[in-house]
Amino acid sequence: MASISLKNIKKTYEDGVTVIDNLNLEIKDREFVILVGPSGCGKSTTLRMIAGLEEITEGELYIGSRLVNNVSPKDRDIAMVFQSYALYPHMSVYKNMAFGLKNRKTPKDEIDKKVRAAAKMLDIEKYLHRKPRALSGGQRQRVALGRAMVRDPAVFLLDEPLSNLDAKLRTEMRSRISMLHKELKTTFVYVTHDQTEAMTMGDRIVVMKDGVIMQNDTPQMLYNHPQNMFVAGFIGSPQMNFIECTVRRDKNGFHAVFEEYDYLLPERMNGPLSLYTDKEVIIGIRPEDMHSESFYFKPDGANTVNLHVDIAEMTGSDYFLFGTAGKKRIVAKISAAEEIKNDTVCKLAVDIDKIHIFDKISENLICD
Amino acid sequence: MNTKRKTANSFYFALLLLLSVIFLFPIYLVLMNSFKSKFNIVGTPFEFPNGETFVGIENYINGINSSGIIDAFLRTAFITVGSVIAIIIFTSMTAWYIVRVKSKFNKAIYYLFLFSMIVPFQMVMFTMTAVCIKLNLNNIFGIIPVYLGFGSGLSVFMFSGFVKGMPREIEEAAMIDGCSPLKTFFLVVFPILKPTAITVAILNAMWIWNDFLLPYLLLGTTDKTLSVAIQIAMQGAYGSIDWGGFMAMLVLAIIPIIVFYLICQKYIIKGVIDGAVKG
Ligand SMILES: Nc1ncnc2c1ncn2[C@@H]1O[C@H](COP(=O)(O)OP(=O)(O)O)[C@@H](O)[C@H]1O
Ligand SMILES: [Mg+2]
Repeated sequence: MASISLKNIKKTYEDGVTVIDNLNLEIKDREFVILVGPSGCGKSTTLRMIAGLEEITEGELYIGSRLVNNVSPKDRDIAMVFQSYALYPHMSVYKNMAFGLKNRKTPKDEIDKKVRAAAKMLDIEKYLHRKPRALSGGQRQRVALGRAMVRDPAVFLLDEPLSNLDAKLRTEMRSRISMLHKELKTTFVYVTHDQTEAMTMGDRIVVMKDGVIMQNDTPQMLYNHPQNMFVAGFIGSPQMNFIECTVRRDKNGFHAVFEEYDYLLPERMNGPLSLYTDKEVIIGIRPEDMHSESFYFKPDGANTVNLHVDIAEMTGSDYFLFGTAGKKRIVAKISAAEEIKNDTVCKLAVDIDKIHIFDKISENLICD
Repeated sequence: MNTKRKTANSFYFALLLLLSVIFLFPIYLVLMNSFKSKFNIVGTPFEFPNGETFVGIENYINGINSSGIIDAFLRTAFITVGSVIAIIIFTSMTAWYIVRVKSKFNKAIYYLFLFSMIVPFQMVMFTMTAVCIKLNLNNIFGIIPVYLGFGSGLSVFMFSGFVKGMPREIEEAAMIDGCSPLKTFFLVVFPILKPTAITVAILNAMWIWNDFLLPYLLLGTTDKTLSVAIQIAMQGAYGSIDWGGFMAMLVLAIIPIIVFYLICQKYIIKGVIDGAVKG
């Protein structure tokens, strides 16, 4: 059982490039934490430092209460699942899974028991005698998981374990890994660049960009209250709409003004917005917070937008509308009750209660 | 296929066929003459043995009985096997280390190995012989480290090439699975390197088995290897050369290395990484 604690971690590679600077992160025992962010933002580097595969340039790393900066990977009580699976090609599935236990001088019958139990759990009993090259991608992935499982590590590290699988298998493995976490009751640190994986699997999500943590929160909080434009844009698909507008103040309160539109903002925003009167801000509206006007039962019909629809994509239950309002590109997701054609103008209501307002320069949240 | 390509193909085929014949003909001559009586070899070397000239395995018996060829054979086998094992073990570990541990020093070492492939043996042979005799390497045990030196350039080069293409994650997985570097090498890396190791073994076995100059310089005519023994037999005792026995010795000298090659060739550079990573 182990918590993980990264304190002021810095990583500079041999070529002199600092990839991670002053990273702080606390991971509780038995938590399922996801590191998510675009490619190259330092997720793997962070994970590999926890594993001990990458030296820590500065800072302190604790697993449990033990400082492990100079502890070798094999003594950290961790297991890792690699993106490329990294199975031993010359060993059978059984031997692949037994290898770690054998190195730790576990008795043979105990190894056998553990390997078979893991194989059963992962549905790979039939392939135990096969070599990795005779397995499909999904099966190899499960062997890699099994190899990590049998050792009962205190911490499970997974680096994009599903990114080499096709879409269907990925969905299946996603729930399998979530279940595994419930059964094993250990700490999981999971790296992915896929926001769906992040949102569906994690107890807590750490969004990273260029080696910096942008937000560290539960999936609900990330989605409903993104702390900056990066997180707001990264989580959610299609992406949140960002619209530049000017803040105006009158006797009714604060307004967001752009093109010919003028939205009265909720009262709760008055405080934070008082510093922004007549200044430019960026409002964020999620596509699903726009509705076809007839389905929107707000008493005042003021917060509407006339969307010129370039492309209307029907997904069955919903329409994705890609279009423009004035010069702004906007994506909306509305219920598919009535037919919408390409190249028409569609009047949409904006749920102003769900709006997010960001500072134009710092890109941080002002209020939501 | 158009006619132009067809003509070109037949032309290349004929050319290659001719080349093959030129290369194979001497071997054929040796094999054929090894069954002829020694007096007919010199007179009619190109004639196929017939009832009159065919002597069965008499030449082989004579060849083996004379000139201590059995000793020479065993000596050569010992030197070849010893050197090849040493080359495989040392150069594979060296290559793994210099590829995986990046430093200026290792890079310099790597280029030194490459450079050693370019230097012709003839250039260093006299100074090297003198040094080796000073170091007491002029015996069948001492010659093994000398072969290790001469074989390591190409071998390190070949192993490095393969290690560079090996995904590092496999070794990292082994480290997490509780392996020390040595264990990682012998339990994980070396088995993956096996096809390269076999290729390296064949290449080195062939030249060490057939080598004449180095054993001649270091071991001289007292501890004869096969090629030295054959050379001495050919010089003969002032003109009285037993050509029949000589041919038989040649055949016997070629056979082991060909057998070794045939056994190993199916393993040469066969992809073993398949299945280790994604796919
Ligand atoms: N061994 C290395 N040497 C130098 N730079 C590296 C090395 N490994 C990764 N990097 C750099 O560090 C940055 C972060 O890489 P990584 O942690 O792999 O990103 P991610 O896993 O988030 O895609 C990248 O810009 C990458 O080029
Ligand atoms: Mg990565």
